[in-house]
Amino acid sequence: MRSARPLVRPTRFDRLLAPLHRWIWSDARRRVQKLISFGETETDGGRDILRAAEITSDPLLRRLYLVHAIDELRHGALFRQRAASLMPTLRSSSAPTFRADWLARGGHGADDLDVDDESDDTMLAFLHLSEKAAASRFTVYRDVLKGDAPTCAVFNEILHDETFHMNYTLVQLARVSPQHHKRRLWRARLSRLWKAYLRVAVALAGLIGGLLLIVQYFVLLPPFAWMAKRALRREPRGWAPIPVEGRDAMKRQY
Amino acid sequence: MKILGVSAHYHDSAAALVVDGVPVCAVQEERLSRRKNDAAFPLSAIEWCLDRGRLEPDDLDAVVFYERPMLKFDRILTCALRAFPRSWRSFPQAMKSSLGEKVWVRGVISSHLGVPAAKILFTRHHQSHAAAAFLTAPTRRAAILTTDGVGEWATLSVGHGARRDDGSVAITQLREIRYPHSLGMLYSTFTAFLGFAVNEDEYKVMGLAGYGQPTMVDKVRRLIRPAPDGAFELDLDYFEYHTTAARSYSARFVDLFGPSRNPYEPIDLETSDGRRWADCAASVQRVLEDTLVGLARSLRAETGLSDLCLGGGVALNGVANARILAESGFDRLFVPSAPGDAGCALGAALYADRVHFGNPDREVPDHPFWGPEVDDSELSRVASEDGQLVDRVDEAALVEGIADDLASGRVVGWMDGALELGPRALGHRSILASAASTAMRDRLNRDIKFRDEFRPFAPVVPLEAADRYFELPPGGMRLARFMSGVFTVRPEWRAQLGAITHVDGTARLQALDREMSPRLYALLEAYGRRTGVPVLLNTSFNLSGEPIVNRAVEGYSTFLRCGIDVLVAGNTRVTKKTRPQVSSSTEASTFVGSGS
Repeated sequence: MRSARPLVRPTRFDRLLAPLHRWIWSDARRRVQKLISFGETETDGGRDILRAAEITSDPLLRRLYLVHAIDELRHGALFRQRAASLMPTLRSSSAPTFRADWLARGGHGADDLDVDDESDDTMLAFLHLSEKAAASRFTVYRDVLKGDAPTCAVFNEILHDETFHMNYTLVQLARVSPQHHKRRLWRARLSRLWKAYLRVAVALAGLIGGLLLIVQYFVLLPPFAWMAKRALRREPRGWAPIPVEGRDAMKRQY
Repeated sequence: MKILGVSAHYHDSAAALVVDGVPVCAVQEERLSRRKNDAAFPLSAIEWCLDRGRLEPDDLDAVVFYERPMLKFDRILTCALRAFPRSWRSFPQAMKSSLGEKVWVRGVISSHLGVPAAKILFTRHHQSHAAAAFLTAPTRRAAILTTDGVGEWATLSVGHGARRDDGSVAITQLREIRYPHSLGMLYSTFTAFLGFAVNEDEYKVMGLAGYGQPTMVDKVRRLIRPAPDGAFELDLDYFEYHTTAARSYSARFVDLFGPSRNPYEPIDLETSDGRRWADCAASVQRVLEDTLVGLARSLRAETGLSDLCLGGGVALNGVANARILAESGFDRLFVPSAPGDAGCALGAALYADRVHFGNPDREVPDHPFWGPEVDDSELSRVASEDGQLVDRVDEAALVEGIADDLASGRVVGWMDGALELGPRALGHRSILASAASTAMRDRLNRDIKFRDEFRPFAPVVPLEAADRYFELPPGGMRLARFMSGVFTVRPEWRAQLGAITHVDGTARLQALDREMSPRLYALLEAYGRRTGVPVLLNTSFNLSGEPIVNRAVEGYSTFLRCGIDVLVAGNTRVTKKTRPQVSSSTEASTFVGSGS
């Protein structure tokens, strides 16, 4: 029997962010974009878990991973369907472009797990923590979406599955690594922290790098741009001959 | 001489190994990594090729990359400069993308494989396409036409190839059309406009075109016009792909064709927007075909040759290929199984062997099966562990049993031998079903492939029987060998071939040569004995958004996730008994606990 409400308590951090989430979800366009983004993340996560099912040598884990993957892929479809049903309410018909999830994805697709190289216990610890984090955040989302019953229902449905995923990953972790499962969980926590730091660092570096390149673009490039445009005017139209190259041509990169 | 070919970094990366002039193996990275259109450096594919060839990297005489990265960077930088200052948004992105790994290919290959830099060679992108098309084709002399989105600068090239009596080979590329004037980009722009994924969903535009009328051909012709010398040029006011990465079409394009389709909205052909999108697809398809036919006709007149080898991603357009064959004057048209960038890995390796090193020509086996073999014991093990019905039978009994299944309307996942190179499932990783009714098409779209209902399915038919069911022009059999042409289903058979007959009465058929895939051929014969029509629906063994399966266990997990009834790998047959069903409610943890 399904309970009316899954018993997942959001973390203090997620509860603190509830006003921000309420603001994000209050706008229809952002709501659609968030749902689309969750759809992508859940689908990516589903494929990762599917991969884990295909490579594990443990028959029980294979079956559980498969069920889990099917759930995640179904969640992706649920998010996409809900986004599609909200789209007609947007003023413009073009796909929304807002992304509010570049640092904090809803599932585990962004954690860049190399499934092929992970052992079962590492995978289970990672999945357990990811599901727990997702369930915590989805609980907040469900609570801030009380005014949008269909979207709220989507989160409710997914939360039921997430509860199962949290439970089975923990039980199985204790089975496959009875002596070290707590250590595995701590390592997974540290790994998630490290990856979160890397994501922030990469995003920041990307931002700084982008700004530097834009400065260079406007400071250094104008004379070259003028020359390139001038050369373009002289460029012949239509066919261009292909020069015959010498024997060493294949040693060149240009 | 041992030569490794590599394509990477844009879409569909791959590796291929050529030993003593003959391909040994080739595989796309996506088939190993399980990420569709994986563009990453194909380390897994390279490792698999070296394992398969029992080689260490030191044993290689050369590693050939399929294009010249610095020339490509030159194009990216030049286009950013030409579009100054409109390119300010895309410039940082383009630089970060290019300077990260893409221009340091020599170093990347050298560090990954530990081979000296002097052993690393580079072909031009369209040279690789030309070599992949000509050097794998069973012809002595042929004209060569390659066309795609863009390589380094070239977007289309023409030339000819010859296998001389002394064993030497010449591939001569005469001239090219350069970026941003590109047939591939024109088609991709419409792909994006119609809400599909660029570089992936172009075939959906082709499928959608069947539902529309080319009512907007005049509008499309405003976008592409003939150049005075017989080439073509695009009116760049309608495009933005050359100035920004955000969108490929301009506001003027939208003024001309109306609002674009939201990718998340289904196409409803009953609505005016749905019909407009179908008409757009039909119109750009018509213009693409007309342009290609015109170019091919000129090439035929110029070279006087009777064979044409076609390469590049645009060569995946089976409707255009069939028109080129019918109208350009060439007697035979050769399209490799992987005309896109994945095939360039093989093309680059063959080009280096024949042209750079001057080795004598060797006959290249005329099949697409260069990938890993399926291991049926793996299927047997995992399916038995899950309590499925597993049978290991001899080949004759297996074929007869599967023919019975297909005749009774069951859907079969079919894995046999080595994996195909290229995007088409040509009988080694296929989903097979009865081709008889539209209900089967709808069932496959709805319950198995989970994809748009307008998408057609392809048939496979024994070579000798193809002409009975399909209107094949002279040379059509060759084009149908790798499912590269779309041909008309004979009107009298359309009712009996409802699952594979597209709305416009056509089908992208595979005419199967017994030697190429004897087991599938035997299955077609057995199915024909039961139903009187030896034609099966043959679609790639994957679900929407996933690459074609490679290993038996991947086929098995796909089998469990969709409505396939029977799975075959080698001599192992699995009949679906149960799907893994675990309730997501509290009793699930009991299940978990009880299994531990």
